[in-house]
Amino acid sequence: MHFNPFTARERPATAALCAIAVALLLSVSACGGSSGDKAGATATPGDTKASTTGSAPKCGLGNGKKASGTPIKIGAIVTKQPGTDFTDITNTVKAYYDCVNANGGINGKPIEYLPQPEQTDPAQIASLAKKLAESEQVVAIVGNISLIECAVNHKYWESKGYSVVSAGIAPECYSTPNVAAVNMGPRYSSDGAVQTLIRKGVKKIAFVQSNVPGTGYIEAGPKLVAAAAKIPIASLKENVPIQDANSAALKAVQAAGEGGGVVLNFTPPEALKILQAAQRQGLQDRVKWGCSTPCNTDFLADALGSAWNDKLFVNAELNLTNADGPDSQLYRDVLKQYGPKIPLGSFSQMGFVMGAITTKALLTVKGDVTVESANAAIRAVKDFKTDILCSPWYYGDAPLHIPNNVDRTTTPKDGVMVQDEDCFQISDAEPDIAKVRQIEQQG
Amino acid sequence: MSLDRPARIHAGVIVALLAFLVLALPSMLSAYWVDVTTSVVIYAVVALGLGLLMGRVGLVSLGQIAILGLGAWVAARLTYATSLPYPIVLLLAGAMSAVLGTLVGLPALRLSGLFLALITLMLAGAITVVLTTTQFPNGGPGFLGHTDSSLGSNAIRRPAVASSDTGYFRYTTLVAVLMFGVVVLHLRSKAGRAWAAIRQSEASALAAGVNITRYKLWALALASFITGIAGGLLAGSVGKLYIVQFPISGNILLLAAVLMGGIYTLWGAVAAGLLIKLLPALLDNWGLPPDLLTILFGVGILQVLITAPEGIAVQLPRDLGRLAGLLSRPFQRNQAAREEAP
Amino acid sequence: MTVPALLGLPSWEFFKPFIVTGLALGGVYAVSGVGMVVLYQTTGVLNLAFGAVGAMGAFIAWELNNNTSLPDWIGYLACIGFGGVVTLLYGVAFGPPLAGRDALTKAVATLGLALILLGAMSWIWTDKARSLDLPTTNSGFEVGGVMVNWTQVIAVGFGVVMTVVTIVFLRHTRTGTAMRALADDREITATLGVPVRRVEASAWLVSGLVSGAAGLLLANLVGLDAATLTFLVISALAATLIARLSSVALTLAAGFIVGLVNAMVTPILSISQYRDMTPFVLATIALLWVSRKDIRVTGLR
Repeated sequence: MHFNPFTARERPATAALCAIAVALLLSVSACGGSSGDKAGATATPGDTKASTTGSAPKCGLGNGKKASGTPIKIGAIVTKQPGTDFTDITNTVKAYYDCVNANGGINGKPIEYLPQPEQTDPAQIASLAKKLAESEQVVAIVGNISLIECAVNHKYWESKGYSVVSAGIAPECYSTPNVAAVNMGPRYSSDGAVQTLIRKGVKKIAFVQSNVPGTGYIEAGPKLVAAAAKIPIASLKENVPIQDANSAALKAVQAAGEGGGVVLNFTPPEALKILQAAQRQGLQDRVKWGCSTPCNTDFLADALGSAWNDKLFVNAELNLTNADGPDSQLYRDVLKQYGPKIPLGSFSQMGFVMGAITTKALLTVKGDVTVESANAAIRAVKDFKTDILCSPWYYGDAPLHIPNNVDRTTTPKDGVMVQDEDCFQISDAEPDIAKVRQIEQQG
Repeated sequence: MSLDRPARIHAGVIVALLAFLVLALPSMLSAYWVDVTTSVVIYAVVALGLGLLMGRVGLVSLGQIAILGLGAWVAARLTYATSLPYPIVLLLAGAMSAVLGTLVGLPALRLSGLFLALITLMLAGAITVVLTTTQFPNGGPGFLGHTDSSLGSNAIRRPAVASSDTGYFRYTTLVAVLMFGVVVLHLRSKAGRAWAAIRQSEASALAAGVNITRYKLWALALASFITGIAGGLLAGSVGKLYIVQFPISGNILLLAAVLMGGIYTLWGAVAAGLLIKLLPALLDNWGLPPDLLTILFGVGILQVLITAPEGIAVQLPRDLGRLAGLLSRPFQRNQAAREEAP
Repeated sequence: MTVPALLGLPSWEFFKPFIVTGLALGGVYAVSGVGMVVLYQTTGVLNLAFGAVGAMGAFIAWELNNNTSLPDWIGYLACIGFGGVVTLLYGVAFGPPLAGRDALTKAVATLGLALILLGAMSWIWTDKARSLDLPTTNSGFEVGGVMVNWTQVIAVGFGVVMTVVTIVFLRHTRTGTAMRALADDREITATLGVPVRRVEASAWLVSGLVSGAAGLLLANLVGLDAATLTFLVISALAATLIARLSSVALTLAAGFIVGLVNAMVTPILSISQYRDMTPFVLATIALLWVSRKDIRVTGLR
């Protein structure tokens, strides 16, 4: 069989048809691409469907009138790939906006929410930002949740004048002027867990995290906190997905030593592997165990079982999902009515809070809602109180934003997470936290 | 080397298509789709390398995405450490990748093809572990060139002539065309004939005096070289690199796309690039889950291996041609009937 | 100063427990590796979807155990049964058309199955922390300061039993001999009057049941996570490569060695992060050794 592409009979026809197909495809996608995805970014059961039973929750203006007219477009970028799916957050933002749209919208106009799923490909993430800003011309970016989006896009958002409201992961979500997060991020959440264990009297800390981009930034936090408390700390990393959790757990416990503490920073499935391996080797009593906020999920508490009651101390950036309080109740009602398939948990809480903050901000806009007016309103958010967060949320004009810097501690008990410690401040041994506290005091 | 008529038409079509791509298309597309198309072109080059190995020589490498990552690492490191012009950076990235690809293939070449595939899969795992730990250069200090501070890092530079997205797309396309040209030249040379002989039957090639090991290594080196250059292009496209872009599953998905696109023609590489980078963007646009793509690729592997070893690039036009023939038959019959009628 | 301390390594006390975890990990690799080689020796197909099949079975077991009121053992049976059925269906549907092709093509085809299952699993069971409970994991005994649970013992035992049974079966029974002949040359075997389809089908079925059982064990020992379990085969492949796909016993031994080395590197903090390269490094060394002797290994085509 000869492979000379120039002499086979069929090849010219092949090539020509292929070329035409390519060109057609590109042109079609160029035109069809700007229509946006109305059905939401996912086909998973998270899509919202309004149910008519029970009293409808009131969001935004709360007047029960359906919004109509030219929609106000809001965009987001969310990681959705096999193995990592953060769409609970954007699905909840959408649920909240649906509630707002059924209650008078933003001064009468409905919100059109356009979450864009990405698969941790920097090129894709950068181009999705352009799609939202230039093709869709959204007025605000609310609900970003991605492993690397802040890092890839923060300069672009700055250049276009967007003040992003996100659930942050990458360091750039907490150190740049145009992004503010409703959560605390892995570094400060790990700090909180370390602080908790130190309060419980550990003699040494072993900090173990997953080996994904940003480990140096994240481990610097616990190191500072431990140094300030004069406690020695060993910083370890594990490649994920973990195949040998037994050795990982053993290594962590050895590093912590007698009377020490292990703080984990992993996604729930990986943290579960280590915790279960530790339990099977009888290690859960050898040291004290702490975990950053991803562990704060009833799914994990259920999988761990009662062997871990009061033995794992999880830093929680948000209140418990079953807490009393008007916002927590509204959160549960909104999910029931507009997002029945979205599970209760930190992710959906973050989505709810982001929706609430931005709705309140947009309602203050007088005149047309444009990129300038919308983002000015978002930046002007100050003293946003909610029982879901420990301290009031704010944006403001500052070189960096860490508005959520006061946390709780939770612990598993018989299959659910319950509160162990009430709100406490993240240590200002962290220079950025100290900076932010100063800005708070001045403003 | 005069071309006969079908070949001239073929060449004409290619030139016209390239002109359209480079000159007209960027202005027709939004910024988002220009970026998507740049990715398609880059991955078409990667697919070209794997397609060359599979279709022309009969070797399978399951580590091409890892080599892509390695090429990207080298290119990124060089752009920070030196001020070499971009083409040199690309060539060096390609060269280092070629060296690694060859070294890995060496132990397995005398064994059956299955062993080469498996050892390249292991290589993918190993490179992934190393790159996960060293991470990618981003302007930091030291040999690894990586800093975790968000303030100390800056983007990987682009070639001076192609700093805009549209400019970079054109640059990428031209480099891709060069790579395709290199492959075509190889196919028409002694190496291409040796590969064809090896693919047909290793025993008779050996009998004919072909140095099988050398030509297999050459193919591996060439495929790795092209992939390394694609890695360099990838480094410049967004300016930031993360290990999550080069997962182990990517190697298998690449294999699926290359098989589906077609390993016996160079158009198959283009089709594969479209499958890997355009199809996910379309699925996202239509609100469909990315898991669908994984399933589709799995089905594609099975379909290609069992029914259509030539892939979409040949199958689709053939099917369309047959369809056209079916549709035109009633007209031909009418024509014939009219001609027969007195 | 002890020798390890001179080398900058932790003391022997620190290493000891990792021998036990290493053997446990080795058991995991051995079960997967032996499972794959067994099918290879009986049908000529290296089933790279081995992990994915077991993983999906484990998810089905989880679903039945946690979201229905059926007793747990039904879930476990469903897992094993699913493995058998899916593998059998694959073998019956895609075995004959690919029978004349080389081993590489047949292995690549199984990658197609792996992708389909992986996509299906990710779609149906979204990324959450799940755990597949087995009653045998809750009790165990102490060895060298480390707790070993009965599931780990079962995994090791399963690997050993599989190896012994396979060796005996293939060499000393008629069906076993027929299977070996089949894997070697299908057409000639058919002309000898061996009921080719039936023998093949039983090889696929048994291999499928094994992957279902392995999936159950691995989901419990390693974690119920689609990507982890599917790509676990890559590490297990190192064991099969070291044994050059030709010896089940060697695969078993190699699995343990890879697991041991991997775990023993863990406490050496300076290179601990690179320990996941162990399978590759060991496989490469083994292959280099083989090609030094310049033997042309054709295996079973």
